[in-house]
Amino acid sequence: MRNLYFVAAALVTISFASRSEAQGALSLQGLGYPAGGFSARAEGAGGGIADFDALSSVSPASLAGVGSAALYLQYSPEFRRVTTSSGSANTTTARFPLIEGVLPMGQSWTLGLSSSTFLDRSSVTNLERRQNVGAPTDTATLTERNKVLGAIDDLRLALAWSTSPAFRIGVGAHVFAGSNRITFSQLFPDSAEFISTAQTGRISYAGFAGSLGVEWHPSRVIGFALSGRKGGDLRAQSGDTAIGRGRLPDHYSGSVTFDGIPGVTVSARTAHDSWSSLSSLSSSGIQAFDGWDTGAGVEASGPRILQRIITVRAGARFRTLPFGLNGQKVSEKSFAAGFGAPLTRDRASFDVAIQRASRTAGSDIKERGFILSVGLRVSP
Amino acid sequence: MKLSSFMPRMFATAALLVSILSCSENLDSSGTCPVLCPQIGGDVQNITIDAVVIDTTVPALSGLGTEPGLLLAFRGDTLDTRVVVRFDSLPATFVPVGDTARPITSVDSAYVRFTLDTLSIKGTDPVTIEAYDVDTTANDTSTAAVLALFRPDRFISSQTFARTQLTDTLKYFISNATVLAKIQGNARLRIGLRATGPGSSQMRIISTEGGFAPVMFFRATPDTTTKPLTVTLLSKTPVGESILAINLEDYTVIAKGPPPAPPSVLAVGGLPAHRVYILFNIPSSIIDSSTVVRATLLLNQLPNNAIDPTDTVFVLPQVVLAGKAVTDPAKAAQIIGSISVDTLKLKPGSSGTTNVELARAFTLWHTQQPDSLPRAIVLKSVVEGNSPLELRFSSTEDVVALRPRLRISYTKTVPLGLP
Repeated sequence: MRNLYFVAAALVTISFASRSEAQGALSLQGLGYPAGGFSARAEGAGGGIADFDALSSVSPASLAGVGSAALYLQYSPEFRRVTTSSGSANTTTARFPLIEGVLPMGQSWTLGLSSSTFLDRSSVTNLERRQNVGAPTDTATLTERNKVLGAIDDLRLALAWSTSPAFRIGVGAHVFAGSNRITFSQLFPDSAEFISTAQTGRISYAGFAGSLGVEWHPSRVIGFALSGRKGGDLRAQSGDTAIGRGRLPDHYSGSVTFDGIPGVTVSARTAHDSWSSLSSLSSSGIQAFDGWDTGAGVEASGPRILQRIITVRAGARFRTLPFGLNGQKVSEKSFAAGFGAPLTRDRASFDVAIQRASRTAGSDIKERGFILSVGLRVSP
Repeated sequence: MKLSSFMPRMFATAALLVSILSCSENLDSSGTCPVLCPQIGGDVQNITIDAVVIDTTVPALSGLGTEPGLLLAFRGDTLDTRVVVRFDSLPATFVPVGDTARPITSVDSAYVRFTLDTLSIKGTDPVTIEAYDVDTTANDTSTAAVLALFRPDRFISSQTFARTQLTDTLKYFISNATVLAKIQGNARLRIGLRATGPGSSQMRIISTEGGFAPVMFFRATPDTTTKPLTVTLLSKTPVGESILAINLEDYTVIAKGPPPAPPSVLAVGGLPAHRVYILFNIPSSIIDSSTVVRATLLLNQLPNNAIDPTDTVFVLPQVVLAGKAVTDPAKAAQIIGSISVDTLKLKPGSSGTTNVELARAFTLWHTQQPDSLPRAIVLKSVVEGNSPLELRFSSTEDVVALRPRLRISYTKTVPLGLP
């Protein structure tokens, strides 16, 4: 009878198990950090130019402005420091947030295929605590190690049409796919007495969305862009079992660009993301917030070096990150600068941007990050 | 160098360098815990259950002569063990240097080389090792018949050793005449060794099973340029039972052992050696649905002061690998596997609760069904068969508070999924 009691107690305990929600940074809450979509050029200009940038996978209409066929690859490591009341952590996250190929087809049509990081959840945390293991006087240090690797990516196939620089329009079909590989370990120091354990899991995501973009340049000095993405269902599976379903967030953006000053482009952009549609994909009630993403920047022709005109950029960006902490929104403010240089007689270009991002959730937790983006465009 | 060419190269090099350096990813945000990474798993749960279904003492060895060491002991009224070595095949001829084979007509410098475990030697007084001819046609496994042959008319020789002479390699000289007589009579040479002396003595001779079989050497000619002849152990009986015959090439005979443990007590070690077999009935919910991080068998040790109560016995818990087809605990206790490199160090004279860590057994049991891998363990002495020390524990026949119990510490399985 006593055995039955203990067994029942064990089962009750197991049934109330918690979830793996430790992610170690403000920007990594929930399903992760929205890292991709902007090219290094757009990032250097605070994102203001993103809707007009063919190498940013934001507006499909912008593909029509690419000029020639291009392959683009971007590498964006983030050097992050998170400070809390209990301590701080410095991390380095290596990301390849954007890869894209653009192919003009005839005079009017342009096809683009891109893969960008939608939400990156990669993190590792170790939490130590003392536990009574065995007799009432036996205590041991238990280290909980939670490792999550992986992201949801946005694969976009887009087609743009334009017969004149004044007007461009494009549509895109998106497949959102990816996975999170989770390893949860409970580690004990003495292997002779204790068994360290590890559980592994893999969540796969799949969803679809469609996008539309329009660009209008009523004159040579000003241009407007509108784009939107309508999200479909996003399903999460563990093995063959569906474990959650949400909707991909709808996304709308509007941009303006001003070229009235010779050699200078001033741009601004604001976008809205309905991140809250992902709230149902949290098993622990982590709240997702709809948010605005606003940025502005300047791109100007800089010095001529080695017969090349170097383009310099600067900008700022303010946005709400998708997932909150303890019910509070996490906001991100970033300042960026960068440059671009044509290579091999404009058959390639090299863009570099550095962003300093600060994130806060209205508490004493501070997060600072430097994101270095290096993009290389090659026209074969 | 022009500034105009230097600057872009410098920037490009710096960017490349930073990019390469940043490839080394470091995602560890542990410094922010526990604020940003609260506890995920639940607390460790500890339960103690009466899970023992069968607990019994079984013979440790699978037969006479399977021990890895030969215990030669003379401990007064407490312990008396003898050693038997069999040379059932002796050479009849030898080859002098530069000559052809000729019959052996003389024996000189005959000795048996033993390898000693010097750490096992007890006693400081000189020890006399007597050799007896223990060849007999009686049943091979009859130790009584062999013991009866340690009598004056069977005496071969003796040799006394000071404690300092007992080194790794022991040369025990035996009667040349006896060896020659056996050779010329085409007879078997079976030697029984007995230790005597003014004080107690005890030593362990490494056996064939231990990897260093005793070997006999002798010269068949006074000519020292001719190499001594070497005779290895061999037992020709029992006929038709080759494995048993190999085991009986060298073995220990217990003339007088410590008193056996009462039947209701679990005993590990001793002479003859014993193991403890314990079969558990563990709720499948614990093995299958939770993660066991520690499992401890709680035994109540009973003091055994019969011999060397303060010496240390190293006990090794092992998991039983015999499937359900093997129903005899004595046989199942021979089919075992290691689960721990750490031994349990206990003194026979001690008493009280003893913890035997079994977490690794649970790891195995988690992956196998009880039909193929019974939830059973064996407790054995590391030097079983080579030491008279015996540990005793309360069994399930004892009062409730002293019975073997199982304490299990486990954590809940954490559903790994959405954040």
